[in-house]
Amino acid sequence: MEDQVLIIMTSGPETPRRCATPFFFAHLAAAMEYEVTMFFTIDGILLLKEGVAETVVPKEGGRAVAGFMQDAQEAGVKFVACTAATELHDIDEGDLIDGVKMVGGAAMWQLAENSSTVLTF
Amino acid sequence: MAEINGCELPEELYYLLDKHVWARPMDGGVIRVGITSVAAKLSGGSLAAVTVSARKLGKEVPQGKSVATLESSKYVGPVPSPITGTLLHGNDALVGDPNLAVTDPYGEGWVADLQVEAFDPAGLVTGEEGIAAYREFLESEGVSCD
Repeated sequence: MEDQVLIIMTSGPETPRRCATPFFFAHLAAAMEYEVTMFFTIDGILLLKEGVAETVVPKEGGRAVAGFMQDAQEAGVKFVACTAATELHDIDEGDLIDGVKMVGGAAMWQLAENSSTVLTF
Repeated sequence: MAEINGCELPEELYYLLDKHVWARPMDGGVIRVGITSVAAKLSGGSLAAVTVSARKLGKEVPQGKSVATLESSKYVGPVPSPITGTLLHGNDALVGDPNLAVTDPYGEGWVADLQVEAFDPAGLVTGEEGIAAYREFLESEGVSCD
């Protein structure tokens, strides 16, 4: 669909400088009235663990990633979590922040097929 | 020019209150739109880019839907259209100096022009009554430009 975009987030707390821009871009796309979904997999899933994103700071003295995530969610960006990645990191659904839907890998393919643009970080 | 909590608001413009945007009817059914000094303040006062939505050029944009985005390192937000109309073009001056939208929001810093068959001020406020309504809204939200 013309107005749907997908951002696949694979970066996590080990690479803080890769963790703010994807949410900033997602927020911008939502402001441009795209329907935005972020699919969290590999290490990206760790950012969805309750309390983690608050500790990830891309720039010394700057905002934590949690703030960028909250901005994106408030603008309407949907967060979906890859079930395989939660298994990789031994994360239970109850460990995740609010507003996150768990989906299988096949959902990623469906989202990608339905999106006019797919970005991967 | 009226001033509310330090925010300058020309009486002759038409405002979509909660979106902090204005409309100015021009000749030939062209409606110029821009952000208010309130939006400029809320955006942090220093913009890195104002980007008019290229995919909406030539298309009808409903009232309240975005015609452009504002961004800075600390802020991202839409510029909702105060009226329903066909998006004609953005303000090229903002490409070179996006901050014009903050420093001169009612003049050189206008955002876009839309085309309408007839200007319909439905949902907008203007004049003394409009400024009074804007004042009430800003006070209820606790917004100040100082």
